[in-house]
This record gives sequence, C-alpha cells and structure tokens, in this order.
Amino acid sequence: MEPIFLGGFVGGLKALGINLPSLLAQLINFTILLVVLSVFAYKPAMRLLDERRRRIQEGLEAAEQAKQQAAQAGVEVQAQLERARQEGQAVIGQAQQIAARIQEEAHQQARQDAEALLTRARSEIQLERDSAIADLRREFAGLTIEAAEKVIGQSLDRQAHRRLIEEVLAESTLGGNGDQKAPRSEPSS
Amino acid sequence: MRGHRRWLIIVGVLVLVVVGFVFLRGPTPDIRIKPETLYSVGMVNITNTLVTSWVVVALMITLVFLASRRWELVPRGVQNVLEFIIESFYNLVVGIVGEKNGRRFFPVVATMFFFIVFANWFSLFPIFNVIGLGEEAEEGVVMQKVDIGPLPVTYVGLSSLSQMKGRTIDAEDPEAAQKVEEEKEKGNVVGEIRPFLRGINTDLNMPLGLAIMSAIFVEFWGISTLGLSTYGSKFFNFGGLLQGMRKLSVGQIFRGGVDAFVGFLELASETVRLVSFTFRLFGNMFAGEVVILMFTFLIPLVFTLPFYGLELFVGLIQAFIFALLTLVFGMMAVSHGSHPDAEEVEAETHHTQTTEDRPVNPEQ
Repeated sequence: MEPIFLGGFVGGLKALGINLPSLLAQLINFTILLVVLSVFAYKPAMRLLDERRRRIQEGLEAAEQAKQQAAQAGVEVQAQLERARQEGQAVIGQAQQIAARIQEEAHQQARQDAEALLTRARSEIQLERDSAIADLRREFAGLTIEAAEKVIGQSLDRQAHRRLIEEVLAESTLGGNGDQKAPRSEPSS
Repeated sequence: MRGHRRWLIIVGVLVLVVVGFVFLRGPTPDIRIKPETLYSVGMVNITNTLVTSWVVVALMITLVFLASRRWELVPRGVQNVLEFIIESFYNLVVGIVGEKNGRRFFPVVATMFFFIVFANWFSLFPIFNVIGLGEEAEEGVVMQKVDIGPLPVTYVGLSSLSQMKGRTIDAEDPEAAQKVEEEKEKGNVVGEIRPFLRGINTDLNMPLGLAIMSAIFVEFWGISTLGLSTYGSKFFNFGGLLQGMRKLSVGQIFRGGVDAFVGFLELASETVRLVSFTFRLFGNMFAGEVVILMFTFLIPLVFTLPFYGLELFVGLIQAFIFALLTLVFGMMAVSHGSHPDAEEVEAETHHTQTTEDRPVNPEQ
C-alpha cells in the first residue's frame, strides 16, 4: 500500500516537472544571490543607514546643545546688562553726591569769606571811627581853648589850659559819655 | 473639437485591434506545466527556467555591483535608488518584527522579495516564450529560423492574411502534410518550440525551492533563538502526557494528549505551509503567463495591455506575500512561548514611538 502511494506521489511530482537536479540548481541559485546581495548590498546599505542615522542623531544633539548654549549666553548677556546698568546708576549717584558736597563746600567757603570780609571791614570801620573821634577830640580841645581865650580876653598859659581841658575830656571819655556826645556834637559843629 | 478627438482615438484603437487580429496573431499557445529542456548534460537537463534563473541572478548581481562599486554616505544615481528600495523594505521589516529580529531576518526576506519580484517582472518581456530552439514535427507551430552565432535560433512566425487563425498546423487537418511541405519549401520550420526563457516561477521547482529555503530559515531562526529542546517541544509536546501517566491522573493525561495533538498539528501545518507557499506562487505566475499567452493569441494589440498591468501588480504582490509570510512565520517561530521576547518587542515599539514623539514636543 505504502510503496504504491509513494510511487504515485513521486509520479505526480514528475508529472508536475519537479525533479531533484532542477530543485537543487534553483536552491543554489537562490543561495548565491542571497550571499552576494547580503555581502554587497545589504551589509553596506545597513552600515550606511546606521552611519547616517548616527550622524543625524549627533546633528540633532549638537543643535540642541547649541540652542541651550545660545539661551545661556542670552541670559548671561542680560545679567551683564543689568549689572552694568546698576553700576552706571551707582556711579551717577556718587557723582551727584560729590557734586552736592562740592556745592555745599563752595557755599560754606563763600559764606566764610564774606563773614571774614565783613568782620575785617567792621574792625577797620571801628579803627577809622576811633581815630576820627580822637582827631575830633583833639581839634575840639584846641577850639575850646581858643574860644575860652576869646571869652576871657586874656591869654592864659596855653600849656596849663590844655592840660586842664585834657583832664576834663579824659574824665568825660572814661565815663563813656564822650562817645555818645561826640557823634551828636559832630553834625552840630 | 474635443468630441472629434475622442472619436479619432476610438477609431484608432479599433483599427489597432483589427490589425492585430488579422496580422499579428500568435500561434495557438502550447501550454505545459513542465519546463522545456533545452540541452541535456549527462543526467542533468538544463531547462529554460533554469537558464532564466541564471540570467535573473546574473542581472541582479550585475545591478548590485554597478550600484555598490562605491558606497557613499551621500548617495547618487543608481546607488540612491537601490538604497531607497533597500531602506524602505528594511523599515517595513523592522516595523513588523522589531529592530533585533528585523536585522536577522532582513537579508533572507529581502532576497526573496527582490528575487521574486525581479524574476516576475523580467518574465513580462516579450522575448519570453517565443524565441527558442525549434523541433521539427509533422504538426505544430510554424516558425522562422535564424542563426545567431553558434546558436540556432527559431522564433514564432506571425499570422498572415491567408491564414487568419494564426500559423498553426493541426494534426486533424486533412491537408496537414501538404501544408507542412509548403512551409518547408518557404524555409520555415514546423514543429514545437522550446523557448530559451520562461518565467522561473512557472516551473514548480523554483517556488518549491524558495518554499524550502523559507522553511529552512524559519526553523533555523526558531532553533537558534529558543534552543533545540524548547523549539522542538513546540512539535513534540509529550511532557504533559508522560507526567499524567506517571501520576495516573485522567485529567492530566487528557490535557497532555491534547497538547501532544496540538504539537502534531503544528508539525503538519509546517509541511502544509511548504505546499501552500509553493502552489500560491506557482499558480499565480503560471496563470498569469497563460492569460498573457492566450490574449496574445486572441487579440494581440490593445487588449493585452491591461493584463500586462495586472501581471505587474500580481508579480509584486506575490513577491510581497511570499517574503512577508516568511517574515511572519519567522517571527512566530522566534517568539513561541517566550514572553520576554514579546515584551521586548513591545518595549522596542514603545521606545520608537517615544523617540518619534520627541521632536514634536519642543514645537508644542
């Protein structure tokens, strides 16, 4: 039973044109093609593909890095600008302070100068007045003696008189009234 | 004006059909399943499908060498096309079985695909089936003879006005002998033709060989991944049965028996797969050849064209089916009963998804 079945099977294969040499030949053909394609087409293509993929990956990473760096640089620039502005602000403030101080000092100096000038002027005026008063007193004494001579009609001892008057005047001056009397007497004379 | 042009086209097509029908009809197609033997070297018959197979392999290797003389990172010309094709198919394979398995399966699956599709499309060239060695007989096709170098080449003659049915001399024709004499006087040959080229997949040996290759690689992948014992237990699963017998538990014996039977079914399906692989490819390609031959015989011009288009499509689809089925069976063989692998594939696909998502995120 079995050999007949097997024989029928082989006969059927033969009728379909299947035979071992052809089959083997086609298998060998396919194997050759497989080997050649693997070595000369797929392997280099795969290598290239991987290489390209790797490069693209690297490129993307580099771009990402560059972007981050740029962002960082931007932040830094911003910070530096901020710092520079603050510094500028501080410098301006300082300058303003210095200017105010200088102004203040100049004011002070001017006031002091003016005061000094005023005091000197005052003391000079005082001196002038004192000397003027002394002159006036001297003249007034002379005048008084002359007047007295005329009134008495006789010439007294000039020396004695002068001494007398001087004494009187000195008494009046020492009393402090002479000063007040003198200006009042000046415009009348 | 436009209607005028349309009429012109219709008339032109009709004229072409009629001219083809009258002058260009081929002889009655001689359809055989067996490939024709061209020469016999000792015990080995060199058939025309074998010759075609050599031609196809040689052409493909030449093409690859032309393209790959210098692989460059920035592709140019033929290399670009070849690389694009390889890359597309590689991405397809990786998309189905994942990166790790894809690398392993790719060369075999891709070679199957490219070989089958190239051979199928190549066999649509009109040099197929009509040029070959003539064999004189008392009846048959009328052929014309030429000598190209050492090769005595014969080609199929065309029909003429006097014989609208194509130049075939029938044995049943009472005037057959007379007609043969007439043709011989004209210097033609009457008899059978053994074409030099015939589509390789119209010979059962090629699809069978490819199916055997497919089976060998599927088993190889399975065994090399899972180990012989694990992979073998898929088919010879008697562990449960033996354990049940030792424990004398009827339920376990039954379950073990079912497992063993499933294993037997798996084994049977491997064999059936071989047959289905073979006959799917053979049937499609053989039928395609017959259809084209028949239409060349019936209406040579215009109406044959749609069938050429169809055959282009069928040739591609069959190659695709063959390669992808091998891929899927390989995947099944590799992933049988091992959950870590499946998880790995899942993780891999998930990983690729996340990497694909990544470039989108910064834009959002």
